Amino acid sequence: MLGSILASGLAAGAIYALVGVTYNTMFSTSRVMSFTSGQLAMLGGVFGSMFMLKLGLPVIAGFVLTLVGCAIIGIITEFVAVRPVLKNLDQHLYVLSTLALALMIQQVAAIKWGTEPQPFPKLIGWGSGVWDEKFWLPVVACAATVIGLEYLYRRTLVGRAFLAIAEDNFAARALGLPERNLRIASYALAGVIGGIAGFSGGELLLAFFANGALLNFYGFVPVAIGGLGNNRGAIIGGIALGLFQQAANFLVGGIFSSVAVFTLFIVVLLAAPRGLFGSATARRV
Amino acid sequence: MGISRRDVLLGTTGALGAATFSRPMPAIAQSEPIKIGWLAAMTGPSSAPTVGFNRGVTFAVDTINAAGGVKGRKIEVITRDTQGDPTKAVNATQEMISQLKVHGIWGPVNSGEALATTPIMARAKMPDIHPCVVETLIDPAKFPNAFRMAPSNSQWDDAVRNYCLTILKVKKIAVFGDTTGYGVTAVGASVAAFKKDGADVVYQANIDATQPDMTPDMLRAKNAGAEVIVVWSVATSMEARMFNTRATMNWDVAFVGHPSLASGDIAGLIEKPANWEKVYAVGYKSCSYDAAGKLPAKSQELVDRLTKANIPLNDTLLWWIAGGIDAVELFAKAVEASGSTDAPGIIAHLNTLSKYPGYFGNYTFSPSQHNGYPTDEIVMSAANSAKSGTFALAPGYA
Repeated sequence: MLGSILASGLAAGAIYALVGVTYNTMFSTSRVMSFTSGQLAMLGGVFGSMFMLKLGLPVIAGFVLTLVGCAIIGIITEFVAVRPVLKNLDQHLYVLSTLALALMIQQVAAIKWGTEPQPFPKLIGWGSGVWDEKFWLPVVACAATVIGLEYLYRRTLVGRAFLAIAEDNFAARALGLPERNLRIASYALAGVIGGIAGFSGGELLLAFFANGALLNFYGFVPVAIGGLGNNRGAIIGGIALGLFQQAANFLVGGIFSSVAVFTLFIVVLLAAPRGLFGSATARRV
Repeated sequence: MGISRRDVLLGTTGALGAATFSRPMPAIAQSEPIKIGWLAAMTGPSSAPTVGFNRGVTFAVDTINAAGGVKGRKIEVITRDTQGDPTKAVNATQEMISQLKVHGIWGPVNSGEALATTPIMARAKMPDIHPCVVETLIDPAKFPNAFRMAPSNSQWDDAVRNYCLTILKVKKIAVFGDTTGYGVTAVGASVAAFKKDGADVVYQANIDATQPDMTPDMLRAKNAGAEVIVVWSVATSMEARMFNTRATMNWDVAFVGHPSLASGDIAGLIEKPANWEKVYAVGYKSCSYDAAGKLPAKSQELVDRLTKANIPLNDTLLWWIAGGIDAVELFAKAVEASGSTDAPGIIAHLNTLSKYPGYFGNYTFSPSQHNGYPTDEIVMSAANSAKSGTFALAPGYA
């Protein structure tokens, strides 16, 4: 039983963590919580299944095209749902605009892809039981993404520019950084991360249009637990959420596990409103 | 007394009016088509059954009209695509009653729509035949115009329970459903009925259909000693995950339950074909083939006719097509027997049917019983045995 809890808990947690990082990546350059994050992960599964099973492309080609597709959706999000409301961030119009776009993505997926879950192909074929690739693949993908992001942010000029924008976009603009282009790039990057979440979790979650709404919520929980904009917090929060959820599934049954997750979520927010890893930012007055 | 221009006008108008009133109206009524409204979810998430039903409807109408119609009157089917949306179904029903003046309505074909349309049709006393499973849709006192020509959910439940207890001869039952309203209601009813029949329900659960791993509930059912798992859900992904989990657990337990266990979607979701063995879904005698691969004679005759008419069977279920044919023929026979398209006559005729031999089943209605499908014609099918819309009988049937 412990093996099953760990295997499925880590797998689900890794997917939630990646969706949390998707939220954070979009937030860092725009200060917008984009509720298209879960839909990007859903599209990762749907695009992957479409390219590999429907169109018969090899895994590598399917993977690359999936990421390109998700990056394009990420960019569309920036143009359609984020840019028009940036001047009125204090009115939180982005909640409406990103939710509306998320709903559109979901409806189009339902119409074009179908409302029944579709199979997602075996990618490698390694492992069985609790070592089945559907369990370890999301964990590996999550680890690789974290390492890649660390490299990007610490070792590359573009990554440092992202950090500069995230820290203080007025100062960054004053220094001559192309804030608008960097924001577009960060949304494309968020699309790629969401795509990786959906693609690596495709065997577990299947290619299903309704996964978007589910991942929107379960991806938001680690962001809230870990602290907004804090990727390490999102990773730890996501993994913890997955393990807690699966343990609750085993101990109290699936129908009550959602209640357990909501309870934990509320308790954590009451105890630490800025998240477990968040900190109050200094504000010059 | 002189005749004025006004007198001439009045006289002429009166004569024309009298001529109009004395025109032979019955002759028109006898030649106008029999109009059947068809509330069809042709598109949208629940379109698959409708596509099958529609093939039967079209086939029946073409056949009857080619043979001269019903006492010389052609059948005209007026279809409205409700997309599975109760609001659209309500609008289409109102249109059919108020503007199109149909003589009877076939459908809708899913319970969500029917819950909204049935009271409207009842107020208009519109004869309605439908195949929806929700129990409350049939109530001869409240809805004397509504007739069900497919099993109700409790009839499915009876058939499943009968198969588990008398054919599989198991006593320890696990009952699973999803977390939808249907899943919760169906699991509750199934558990109560099993207990009433003396079975030991060792585990019951409503599972979120999006839960990626079914191991927790399957493990609990196994540890509780379940000898069979009864499933009430339409979520094929959940069902496929259960089959895959059973294989991973090396557990040789049978699944019995909802017709969706035999859905073609499951073939793509299971990890290997063997995972779909020992799964028995609700099916029907008329659409099941025996160990020799033979359908009942009447069904085979229908299949031959459909094949000759180039109607595809490999992407749908035979009972959907047969049900569509039966619905149209029931209306046609009612008009023929009652001699008119008046609603009271059609309803009165339907209430007299006893073992009316349709293709899908032998229907019986009475003024106090509008569940027309006989429970003893519901059987279990081997879920993975689909062949041209029919299934193999599950083990245990003679």
